[in-house]
Amino acid sequence: MSLAPGSPPAVEAHALVREYKGGIRAVDGLDLQVAAGEIYGFLGPNGAGKTTVVRILTTLLRPTSGDALVGGRSVVRDGDAVRRLIGVALQEAAIDPLMTGRELLRMQGALHGLRSKQARERGQNLLERVGLTEAGDRRVGGYSGGMRRRLDLALALVHRPQVLFLDEPTTGLDPTSRAALWREVRALNDEGTTVFLTTQYLEEAEQLADRVGIIARGRLVVEGSPTALKAQVGPPTIHVELADAEGAQRARSALRGLGALEPAGAGGDIHVQLRTTAGKAAIAPVIRALDEHGVQVESVEVQMPSLDDVFMAVTGATLEGASSNDGSPSSGDHVGEAVPASRAPEATTAR
Amino acid sequence: MSVGAAPRPRAGAVVVASWRRALNEVLRVRGALLPATIAPVIFMLGMTGQFSRLTDLEGFPTDSYLAWIVPLSCLQGAGFAGAATGSNLARDIEQGLFDRLLVAPVPRAVLLLGPILGAVTRCLVPATAVLAVGLLLGAEFTGGVLGVLALYGASIGFCAAAALWGIFLALTFRTQQAGPLMQQGVFLAVFLSTAYTPEALLRGWLAGAARYNPVTHVLELSRQATVSGLEPSLANTLPGVAALVGLILVLGGLALFGLWRIGR
Repeated sequence: MSLAPGSPPAVEAHALVREYKGGIRAVDGLDLQVAAGEIYGFLGPNGAGKTTVVRILTTLLRPTSGDALVGGRSVVRDGDAVRRLIGVALQEAAIDPLMTGRELLRMQGALHGLRSKQARERGQNLLERVGLTEAGDRRVGGYSGGMRRRLDLALALVHRPQVLFLDEPTTGLDPTSRAALWREVRALNDEGTTVFLTTQYLEEAEQLADRVGIIARGRLVVEGSPTALKAQVGPPTIHVELADAEGAQRARSALRGLGALEPAGAGGDIHVQLRTTAGKAAIAPVIRALDEHGVQVESVEVQMPSLDDVFMAVTGATLEGASSNDGSPSSGDHVGEAVPASRAPEATTAR
Repeated sequence: MSVGAAPRPRAGAVVVASWRRALNEVLRVRGALLPATIAPVIFMLGMTGQFSRLTDLEGFPTDSYLAWIVPLSCLQGAGFAGAATGSNLARDIEQGLFDRLLVAPVPRAVLLLGPILGAVTRCLVPATAVLAVGLLLGAEFTGGVLGVLALYGASIGFCAAAALWGIFLALTFRTQQAGPLMQQGVFLAVFLSTAYTPEALLRGWLAGAARYNPVTHVLELSRQATVSGLEPSLANTLPGVAALVGLILVLGGLALFGLWRIGR
């Protein structure tokens, strides 16, 4: 979603620094801008500083230096005004297990200035919206992970915030719950809510975000729309796996002219890689050319550039490797190392 | 759905909401109230059984050790109920629940009032249980209604002070592992007072500590209920009230300092 002319950014950070004891810089001079009405995906490996940035933007943590504005209000000087504009669903859906969903929504209403009747009605609407009407009078301690996440989202929406911060909202969720939460985030955004989403999941960022910022070691290393960022990395790669190593030379001869051949990798006698802007459309010509040269093929894959490739290109390390979708929460406030490249990017496969 | 700035929350509504939540700790956890209620009663019975002859000592202001120990047991129950507020807050901090409260546009000090009120409400249960058992065992309410009111007032004030102490530690250490320190603080404050014997019978540094310990005055305030030599009067009430106000101001200041440091 593009920024309407003249409308102020929903979120701005200027030279934001957060230093912990021992001089550890979790955030190191971060500048960013999120347009009103945008879904901004904030990506980074564990310990990159994502959670620290979110805690600063939501007034839970003061920056060591620099400032950030949310809805034009400073998180340092005008925290109270910022808190009236934002909704927050932090990691791990911290919810009191002794209370029912309905009670929590009512309490959240009180915390955000809703009158008792308003809070009751709003709570009912939100329970319906997130599909928890029947579970609304049950204690949260008995909710599943997905239900707790949905309730967490509902709690963040009680006061109709302008800017919604979601810190790794789908960590640990099953695919169905994850898809349901994505639908809800999109719907909220369609209604005008700006969404600042941190995630370790590349797919989540690609599916939801209008723009993505990648943070590493407390610095924003690259920013743009997922499509534009991936386009910067280069064309897709076609990976050909040969039936035997003897055909490698013939395969390289056959494919010359269809794109740029990548140098053969170590021990890669049965693998040939071709970079081509044609992408999937090149599969048929590749197979035809190999067939004409009598090359036995095991498989052909088209690998599209991923956000992990983008991360790799700008940092020399892989983001995906640091977040293997195991459902484990981010370590948050610590400065960490990006993990060296070791895994293949996401692939579209044709066999 | 339209989006915009939320209205300003009303402090009263926030306090009531968080007070109700604090009461869940005992209303919704089966048996949660039992240890906090039974412990001071058992303490009262045990101490009375062991030290009942202390009243034979010259200078002991009453001939009933039960009458001497009932107010102490009430205060202990209240103190531990208050300190538990700190453990609950530390748990909320560890689990991220406190963050949810901190991102609400509520003056942060208001967020502490509900849990303190919850503790004060909870402390009435052990205090009443101790009084009831004391009455059954023959303790006399020599101070009448005013004396009982003084006892409840002292218990409530001491509970609030202990809650602030617990909150300060919770905000400082941000872990439930600080729980024993919260309880030990209360224990120590009571132990170093005229909890078990009057000041006249204490010797050495313990006498000095009890003399300057504000809890001694809080105990004197509460003993107007059952100790015949301490009739309800302004002179017997003011030092205790002043001690409670002082404790609450100092510990409240520490709690606010802990709150101020959050996120810095």
